[in-house]
Amino acid sequence: MPETLPTAAVRVTVNGKPCERQVEPRQLLVEFIREELRLTGTHIGCDTSFCGACTVLLDGAPVKSCTLLAVQADGAELTTVEALEQDGQVHPLQQAFSEQHGLQCGYCTPGMFMSSLALLAEHPEPSPQDIRKALSGNLCRCTGYQNIIKSVQTAATLLRQEG
Amino acid sequence: MDMQFSGEFSVARSKEEVFAMLADPQQFAPLLPGYHSMEMKDARTAKIRARVGIGRIGGLATTELSLVEAQAPHRARYTGRGKLMQGVYRMHTAFDLHDTTDGGARISWQGKAELTGKILSLAGGGIRGYAEKQITRLIASLETALSSAPEPEPAAPGGWLGRALYGLSDVSATEARIEPQVAPTPDLQAQRAAANQRIQALLEAPRAQVKPARREDERLIKGKGLFVDDYSPAGLLHLSVLRAPYAHARIVNIDVSKAQALPGVACTLTGKEIMELTDPFIQIGAGATQQITDYALATDKVIYQGDPVVAVVAESVAIAEDALQLVDVEYEPLEVVLDAEDALTDRVALHEETGTNTIFSGVYEYGDLEQAFADAAHIVKIDRLEFHRFGSTALEPSACVATWDPRGEIDLFANTIMTVPLAFLAPALRVRMDQIRLRTHDIGGSFGNKITNYPYLTLCCLASRKMNGAPVKWIETRTGQMLTGGHGSERIYLDTEVALDRNGVITGLRSKHIDDIGAYPRYEPLGSVIWSQVLPATYKLRNIRIDFNQVVTNKGPSAPNRGYSRLPHIWFMERVVDICGHELGIPADQMRLNNYIGEFPYETPNGCVYDSGDLPAMLAKAKELVGWDAWQKKQAEARGEGRLLGIGIGTTLDSGTNNWGQARYVNPQAPFSGNSTAATVKLDLDGTVVVSLGTFPQGQGHETTAAQVVGKVLGLPPELVQVKTGFDSLNDSHTGQSGTYASQFVVTGLSAAHGAALKLKAELTKLACFGLDAAAEDLEFGVGDMGPQVSVRGTEQALNYWMLANFINSNSASLPDELRDLSLHARHVYMPPFKVPDVEKKIGNLTLTYALQLHICVIEVNPDTFQTKILDYAIVDDCGTVINPMIVEGQVHGAAAHGIGAALLEEIAYDREGNAISGSFTDYAPITINAMPELKCANRQSPSPFTFHGAKGMGEGGGGPLHSVCAALQDALHGQDLIIRHSHNSPMVMFDRFAGGTEKGVTVESR
Repeated sequence: MPETLPTAAVRVTVNGKPCERQVEPRQLLVEFIREELRLTGTHIGCDTSFCGACTVLLDGAPVKSCTLLAVQADGAELTTVEALEQDGQVHPLQQAFSEQHGLQCGYCTPGMFMSSLALLAEHPEPSPQDIRKALSGNLCRCTGYQNIIKSVQTAATLLRQEG
Repeated sequence: MDMQFSGEFSVARSKEEVFAMLADPQQFAPLLPGYHSMEMKDARTAKIRARVGIGRIGGLATTELSLVEAQAPHRARYTGRGKLMQGVYRMHTAFDLHDTTDGGARISWQGKAELTGKILSLAGGGIRGYAEKQITRLIASLETALSSAPEPEPAAPGGWLGRALYGLSDVSATEARIEPQVAPTPDLQAQRAAANQRIQALLEAPRAQVKPARREDERLIKGKGLFVDDYSPAGLLHLSVLRAPYAHARIVNIDVSKAQALPGVACTLTGKEIMELTDPFIQIGAGATQQITDYALATDKVIYQGDPVVAVVAESVAIAEDALQLVDVEYEPLEVVLDAEDALTDRVALHEETGTNTIFSGVYEYGDLEQAFADAAHIVKIDRLEFHRFGSTALEPSACVATWDPRGEIDLFANTIMTVPLAFLAPALRVRMDQIRLRTHDIGGSFGNKITNYPYLTLCCLASRKMNGAPVKWIETRTGQMLTGGHGSERIYLDTEVALDRNGVITGLRSKHIDDIGAYPRYEPLGSVIWSQVLPATYKLRNIRIDFNQVVTNKGPSAPNRGYSRLPHIWFMERVVDICGHELGIPADQMRLNNYIGEFPYETPNGCVYDSGDLPAMLAKAKELVGWDAWQKKQAEARGEGRLLGIGIGTTLDSGTNNWGQARYVNPQAPFSGNSTAATVKLDLDGTVVVSLGTFPQGQGHETTAAQVVGKVLGLPPELVQVKTGFDSLNDSHTGQSGTYASQFVVTGLSAAHGAALKLKAELTKLACFGLDAAAEDLEFGVGDMGPQVSVRGTEQALNYWMLANFINSNSASLPDELRDLSLHARHVYMPPFKVPDVEKKIGNLTLTYALQLHICVIEVNPDTFQTKILDYAIVDDCGTVINPMIVEGQVHGAAAHGIGAALLEEIAYDREGNAISGSFTDYAPITINAMPELKCANRQSPSPFTFHGAKGMGEGGGGPLHSVCAALQDALHGQDLIIRHSHNSPMVMFDRFAGGTEKGVTVESR
């Protein structure tokens, strides 16, 4: 068995639910989310903050969870892709990405959702330029981005109609 | 990478005093930045432990520092060497001492550092800044140490700079200091709370029960996909790989004892053990290539930077990675071969057992070249063109979880993409193929690259067996992926000669091509023939000679990459057409109209049959989309203002559904020909229609389109057809050629599913005839009140699928004998009507379908910086009958992004020692949303006469933007008499090539 490494307490609210775990101080936030909380919708694509597949919202702001330690999130509210679906029904953002074919393999999609959500919270009617700026840290290797831009625009329309 | 630094500073101490200190390793060593501890090896050599790293990433590294020259009191010189972060470095530092007029000493110093290994790619462009900072710190601490008392304002510039930039007064104190976390200010807290509230409000938007546009979306948009890393069975162990820091080196010794002793480490694997436990992977190539011994780990030497040397298996990834740092490997560096022409000389042979670097060498010659050149009105000669190394870098890296249970059954959950790797894996592991259950679920992209991840799958299987059946997971790191996980090969085109008639019609072409496939051939020998599927590209010339060669070099092993092997060839043909057009003054569109193939089906000089299309119509459509005439006007205006604006056309082919018989051009003994793909359609016990495919989808929507096709046969809406996700060898829905590759699913996969659905329908018809006491021609398939059913036309009589399934599965006693051979489990193997090609003449139909794409790019180039901006972009695609327009358009967009990225941003680059200098996304620069222009797309449909539905495979896309972007750049720069000879044209490389003027390398002889 490995030597017992010192651990630190991390208390966070994840998708509205309070969670507490003892973790190694070196544990990354994305590992905490995937391994400790078993929320595997958040993906790891590059280990170096480039691709944005691991993007989650930390106190409402999009962060790349491969670049934060879990202990740095102590006390924060986290939002992940799993917050979007409720009782089998999907959020307008999810609906829009499917309708506009804004995903193919789906690996980048949860990160795209989180960055888009942060954008739409600030800009309910984003221009294509606003969308490009907000998603410039999210890589997609399948779609060529064109349908992602359309998806976010469609989501904005759906949200305005429903709001 | 080499770095050199120098400088000087003065101190108020005598030369002798300064020398005494500098020439004493025990006094000098503690001044090194990050100094931790030391021990003296002998009087002149110290082993120093120092903290190194960039930002907060780092660790302790050992340096051996030797005083190699001491001329009292004038000169002291040190050399140092050590390793850090899977890299090695050497440094040389010399100090020359001079008297100053005020009795002090002036110290002039020179430093040189050489770095090799992964450290370079990890640190990327930051390494030079880091080294500068370290040297400034060293000099600053030297000054501090040499000053008798700390001076508040030291006179020497080095020290002043050090303090100003880094706030250094005491290095050791700096090392120990950790900045306390700053608590958020009340303002920030309020901002965060407000942001959170806005998010919460958005999350409260009303949900809806929505039918997703694709089957796959149902789980993927919810974050409920199952990618390999999401699968973590109990007792899971993790495997990490130690990779070679050298591009070419002999392994002198490997010591894993310290790694094995680390608590939490389960076991290690080295090349020696692999040689005992496995057989070398089979080789596809012929002749000497068959002698290559390729194992899952390097054995006697490493032949590219990143070559796996040791695997460590541990209870967590973190422990495994820690343990890798404790492995000691001693290497003896060897000379590297990085250039394809150099490799061809066999000056240094990578695979010593073969004595040659050549994997394939052959001539593809058709028509009458001599006559074509004798009759030519113009002969254009192009000395050299180069197609660069890049990869599609799927966002999900390669991965697997292997479980080799003690009973001998292997469960392999992986993201491989065809069954061919099973043919590599099973013999290497010395098991029967039925012992391996290979399965996939969701795959986060592949684009061909994941075909060659089988060495790592092999490692995980062995590790699991060694650990008595514990599941072992391997997730490739992004750096590992960039070093070795899927480079598209490079190709150079030498001494090209083009014969043209008076109208610019190309009548003959001869050229020598060399493919550089990196270290191991693996799948690549097939790349020596696959390009010839598109031998004349979209042009009607009949006289062609290509002298084709393929070599290994000390670079990462290449693998199929979107557009595999055909893309580099079409790029070459498109460059030829554009260069000839520009040299002869024929506009790009006219040049194409003069040369395009006219009537389809068209048989190429090497026997391939292009099935359908209308190239002039596609060109006209694309010109209309982009606004060709308007851009011509704008171009004229821009040129008047001295701006560089270019318009380029790229016409491309996506050949799909291989005739594997072409492998025999490479190896006449290869037991391959034709193509086969299986699918099953069954009625489950409750009457559910269940489809299993032999494919490994990675985002192409196979579940969606298979449900469409099967549903259509049975008269059901697609939502009443279940399609199993991913591949599972237990489904028995595969053949040896099943997989997701070579733009073929729409033909092979859907034909197999279609065939199986027809077989099931035939069985259901027989059962319904019996059950309903009706004639077959009176039956109708559809959906009734009780779900899917077969009914008697015009009556209320019907049997639903549960009742029909029940006849076979639970209620067979009532069946007549003649119906007792039914199974309601239909399996169909689709085999296209291929013949074995003529290996001697290299003639045969090599692919079944040819989708076409035509791209037009408008680009502007900054004349000073060579930065580019795409101003407009249009694509017309023709992939025959379209089964699902949304999915087809998605593939067109995706392939366009890969092409634009490769043409302008992405390159897998090596320095002259074979160090990979694009080892992370930061250095590789995959295309982001900001670099993508808005694409104007249109579609034409010329149904293929060779497929049941008229559709053609189109996923790879043919790399249209590489052709159109290079053509547009050529058009922009041609006024300056520059030729685009490279497929990669980032601002940096264009600046290097063009800013100082360049040799054009093109000549024209006209008669």
